[in-house]
Amino acid sequence: MQTNFTAEQLADPQVAESEKILRRCVHCGFCTATCPTYVTLGNELDSPRGRIYLIKDMLENGRAADAQVVTHIDRCLSCLACVTTCPSGVDYMHLVDHARVHIEKTYRRPLIDRMIRNVLAAVLPYPKRFRTALALAKVSRPLAPLFDRLSPLKPLAAMLKLAPTGTLRKSDATQPGSRAPKTERRGRVAILSGCAQPVLDPGINEATIRLLTRLGVEVVVPQGEGCCGALVHHMGKEDPALDFARSNVDAWTREIEGGGLDAIIITTSGCGTTVKDYGHMLRLDPRYAEKAARVASLAKDITEYLATLDLPTLESRGLTVAYHSACSMQHGQKITMAPKNLLKNAGFVVRDPPEGHLCCGSAGTYNIMQPEISAQLKARKVRNLEATRPDVIATGNIGCMTQIGTGTAIPIVHTVELLDWVYGGPKPSRLALRKAGARAGVSL
Amino acid sequence: MSEAIRFLEPRTAVVARRATIIGDLVDLLPPECVVHEARELVPFETDAFVAYRRLPLAVVLPKTTEQVAAVMKYCHRYGIPVVPRGAGTSLSGGAIPQEDAVVLGLSKMTRILEVDPANRTATVQAGVTNLSISEAVSPEGFFYAPDPSSQLACTIGGNIGMNSGGAHCLKYGVTTNNLLGVKMVLVDGTVIELGGKHLDAAGYDLLGLVCGSEGQLGIVTEATVRLIAKPEGARPVLFGFNTSEEAGACVADVIGSGIIPVAIEFMDKPAIEICEAFAQAGYPLDVGALLIVEVEGSEAEMEAMLKKIVDIAGRHGVRTVRESQSATEAALIWKGRKSAFGATGRISDYICMDGTVPLGKLSYVLEKTSEIVERFGLRVANVFHAGDGNMHPLILFNANDPEDAARAEEAGNEILKLCVDAGGCLTGEHGVGIEKRDLMRHQYSEADLNQQMAVRAAFDPDWILNPSKVFPLEGRPAA
Amino acid sequence: MTLTPHTENDAAYVIRNAASRGTTLSIVGGGTRSGFGNSVIAEEILSSSALSGIVDYEPAEMVMTAKAGTPVAEIEALLAANRQMMSFEPMDHRAVMGTAGEPTIGGVFAANVSGPRRFVAGAARDSLLGIRFVNGRGEIIRAGGRVMKNVTGLDLVKLLAGSHGTLGFLTEVTFRILPVPETVETIVVSALDDHSATQAMAAAMAMPVEVSGAAHLPQTVRARFLDGQLPEGEATVLRLEGLEASVSVRSEKLGDMMRRFGAVSRLGPEPSRNLWQEIRDVAPYKGLPKKPLWRVSAAPSVGHQLVAALRLEAGIDAFYDWQGGLVWMQMEGDPEEQRLRRYIKALGGGHATLVRAPDAVRAQLAAFHPEGDAVATLSARIKQKLDPGGIFNPGKMAGV
Repeated sequence: MQTNFTAEQLADPQVAESEKILRRCVHCGFCTATCPTYVTLGNELDSPRGRIYLIKDMLENGRAADAQVVTHIDRCLSCLACVTTCPSGVDYMHLVDHARVHIEKTYRRPLIDRMIRNVLAAVLPYPKRFRTALALAKVSRPLAPLFDRLSPLKPLAAMLKLAPTGTLRKSDATQPGSRAPKTERRGRVAILSGCAQPVLDPGINEATIRLLTRLGVEVVVPQGEGCCGALVHHMGKEDPALDFARSNVDAWTREIEGGGLDAIIITTSGCGTTVKDYGHMLRLDPRYAEKAARVASLAKDITEYLATLDLPTLESRGLTVAYHSACSMQHGQKITMAPKNLLKNAGFVVRDPPEGHLCCGSAGTYNIMQPEISAQLKARKVRNLEATRPDVIATGNIGCMTQIGTGTAIPIVHTVELLDWVYGGPKPSRLALRKAGARAGVSL
Repeated sequence: MSEAIRFLEPRTAVVARRATIIGDLVDLLPPECVVHEARELVPFETDAFVAYRRLPLAVVLPKTTEQVAAVMKYCHRYGIPVVPRGAGTSLSGGAIPQEDAVVLGLSKMTRILEVDPANRTATVQAGVTNLSISEAVSPEGFFYAPDPSSQLACTIGGNIGMNSGGAHCLKYGVTTNNLLGVKMVLVDGTVIELGGKHLDAAGYDLLGLVCGSEGQLGIVTEATVRLIAKPEGARPVLFGFNTSEEAGACVADVIGSGIIPVAIEFMDKPAIEICEAFAQAGYPLDVGALLIVEVEGSEAEMEAMLKKIVDIAGRHGVRTVRESQSATEAALIWKGRKSAFGATGRISDYICMDGTVPLGKLSYVLEKTSEIVERFGLRVANVFHAGDGNMHPLILFNANDPEDAARAEEAGNEILKLCVDAGGCLTGEHGVGIEKRDLMRHQYSEADLNQQMAVRAAFDPDWILNPSKVFPLEGRPAA
Repeated sequence: MTLTPHTENDAAYVIRNAASRGTTLSIVGGGTRSGFGNSVIAEEILSSSALSGIVDYEPAEMVMTAKAGTPVAEIEALLAANRQMMSFEPMDHRAVMGTAGEPTIGGVFAANVSGPRRFVAGAARDSLLGIRFVNGRGEIIRAGGRVMKNVTGLDLVKLLAGSHGTLGFLTEVTFRILPVPETVETIVVSALDDHSATQAMAAAMAMPVEVSGAAHLPQTVRARFLDGQLPEGEATVLRLEGLEASVSVRSEKLGDMMRRFGAVSRLGPEPSRNLWQEIRDVAPYKGLPKKPLWRVSAAPSVGHQLVAALRLEAGIDAFYDWQGGLVWMQMEGDPEEQRLRRYIKALGGGHATLVRAPDAVRAQLAAFHPEGDAVATLSARIKQKLDPGGIFNPGKMAGV
């Protein structure tokens, strides 16, 4: 597509990169068809092609973001289905990242919107604060209907509704230090504890550590690692995002240069997409560019890593798993077959839901910031998953688990929890809650 | 942006009333169905023919036939041009608006209304995408045959507007051969139905006239289409040749021998490289030209037909023959082919031609095309539906270089004239749109065009519907 | 007086003259379908019979161009010599309409005449690629072309096809042809009532066996096909065509499936060809010029319901083609126009055309199915744009 940038504009490396991305787009419109917001809202402005055009217009004219552009960029889930679809190889991810930073820098959001974003940015990436916030949310839950009625406060209502109702369990899986392999050592990896996942569901990393150590892999939780930065990155808060990235790069580099690492294991695909992009995020920082690229190249989703370990093939257990591929998994990281192959190899019957390419509406903080679109996408996703009549739903992203879990009675677990179970670990707690043998011939 | 093709001068009286018109449209439709902020109009200024752009006056996205009728009635009353838009995937600029026009987009009308297996029909709203019809009827064992390469995104309404084709039309025909009925809003807001689940027209074949009329006769809001039972199996086979000439001659021979495969697609070397880079479909990279020939039916049928085709290809010096070994492989072969235009975007800007020529002239036209493009100092990639002679030379150029763009446009015009002179036509499936409008006189006489415009006037005497398209601006009859 | 131009230019001249004088013209080709539609009352006859001859035929490109007055027989003979055919199987109306003469290719397209393969392979209009015609002003107009895919401009080709000479005088047609299938087979399912037959045909069409003909011949007509050689009981017949190897596989498959509905037998190639030609030409109702004959097009699933409803109130005989969607209906006495049209509407739409009736009966009713007001208005406007003086075939089609 033709672009109109001046030489001065192109001197800015961000603009120069965006210009390159825009030049690749041929405006064919294929991306519209797989975009969750376009299929929900039916408006070009809420499609990748429409957003690309809005961004192009804004950047070319060197204009500050305005309410209209912000509305449509905000509605983007960053699910990256468009990137999978695009035949021309348009790097929408980095284009919309740039647009979000531009918005954050040039647009003043309404007060309440600003406040909510700031609160999320100040709480979610920090496990302690998040834990406290969830405790507060539990007692504030009755306020949800009230917030729901006041348009600008809808995100608050959404937040309260998403907060788990059960008690939050503390886990030692996040304690820094090394976990020795239980059998002959065949590798050494770091695991990202991250921020929200260990609070919402500590069982995922516990299962990962159990499974890996049983398989002979030493697992390290490095000192000083934390949120990957994705949450603030998607809000366009560039500086804090890069700070998170740098601090993780430091923590992992110490391990790489110390005991050595075969991989950095990530059990939340949303984080994986971001960590794998560290090299790009920090490319303009001469002190970090190289280290970040090395870290990014070591980052692996847990299923990607497990696929290299040659797990034994198990007898079928007659349990049907609907595999929900998180957008960050299939579109962000392009991991499509590994999780399903692992599950099949482990004796599960794996089903792909219809419209598997569509986002469930979770998308980081999207279900809080855009509760209406998110709810429509959740309903559609649940309908498609339930259509496969599964015993359990498996996925690789805590956000999807929370989102889909509030929409269906079918238990939803992390892929690694199922694998840990069948390879000798305990049954995932969400499955244990179900009446054993609910279906004849099934050994739940 | 190219400036060679003119648009109609905006109706000043309409532009002057912009604020009032927007106010009225907002009253007619729900708030989310009207787009009018300056910034938000920009993404509607073009479609997949990006060389030309015009901002519309406003965009409406109605959800029902009644809302479409209300908009048409209003626009008709005040003489406001209306440009219909499906998914905006037109390669001829069919959905490019103009400053005094309301874009009427069907993208919110996406319901599958009925699937009727007993009568082999599906009735859908006009904004339903081509592929989702096949997806919706697949559980019943059927599919919808016309398959334009943009079928993932393009709408059935747009397909009807352009009478779209596709790779598999060699056997199953184009849109007009698979369309049974429409609900349509006339220029004055009257809603009519043409056809239905029965075949043929009671009187004049207005359905046949509407199909391919590029949004100039009315706005189709619902369509009833014919379904076909899915074949037992389908297998695309790759045939690699040293030269385009050999491949072209092989196509003519296959068809001439009385074998009609479901599809015969052609790619030259540049196209093979582009598509392979994107789809990794296993196209041979060491050949000069590639045919994708698809056969379908039971194993025995496919074998029998393939054997005959392989024999013929052997007589034309085929170098490699590779059958797809699995459904995944077959899907990749088609993915590469159907993404060809978009994938070209990875290496260059392009404009896509759409002329059709008699099969016997394929080789000649391919050769001449190369000559023309070379003469303009440009490059070309060829990927097209060879079985029916529908060519798609992609002229590669740099859109940020106005001179390059102008040369590309000129080369394109020469190629299209070449197609007409070879006994073919300007456009096989993409439509005339804005792109080929000024070449119409090369294919038609004054009387031919006047007759078409007269028939058009029976529907829209005031040139309200998509007025800058299809017919050259000079020599139009006075309203 | 009969005007018989020998060239297109002559035709244009004649028509310009007629237009300037306001002389109405009755357009004929071979005259074998002249009873079709309402009676034309015109001052002169304009015949295409002298515009005859195949202009261009490229077997390898599967395209033929012929002047409008070329006899169908001449075209079919040449095609057959090259093992090719018109896939839409144009019906020969002579036997059923009691006419003589030579059907012309122009007549075929002017009346959009198709046969049993129409419901899968398209009508005459779907094979028509290009035309030349003279409009009511005496101007020579070219539309379409000679390539399969062509979306350049408004599709006047479709508009002229089936316009029964009311919009223009066809001078030349270019159409697509297809190879003659290597072989043909017919599966006969016996003794199904109309309702079961409809279900059986729908089931057959849902199978991946490419049925290219699906007709149901009730007891009243069964014996009038193939000299009574069809098996006892109603005959539901399904045609398969193609490569030898393929047809045998498919007929196995189809036969197995159809056994769920009734006794299955096969006809073999030669009887198959004869049977489908007789179905095409409506053989059971030939030679009975006094009995009104309707051609009804409806959704395949409702054809038999229409017949069942009418049978309670009128004397009719009927058989079905196109999976049940084409009903050939012969009336014992009264044409029952109003009742017929009412039922068609009630069953979801379609149309009935009076193909044959004594002149006195024809004069009393609309031979073509009346259209809704908005569509009729459009049709009238279109007629006005092509034939402003209304000189072509006045009265033939209702409203135009």
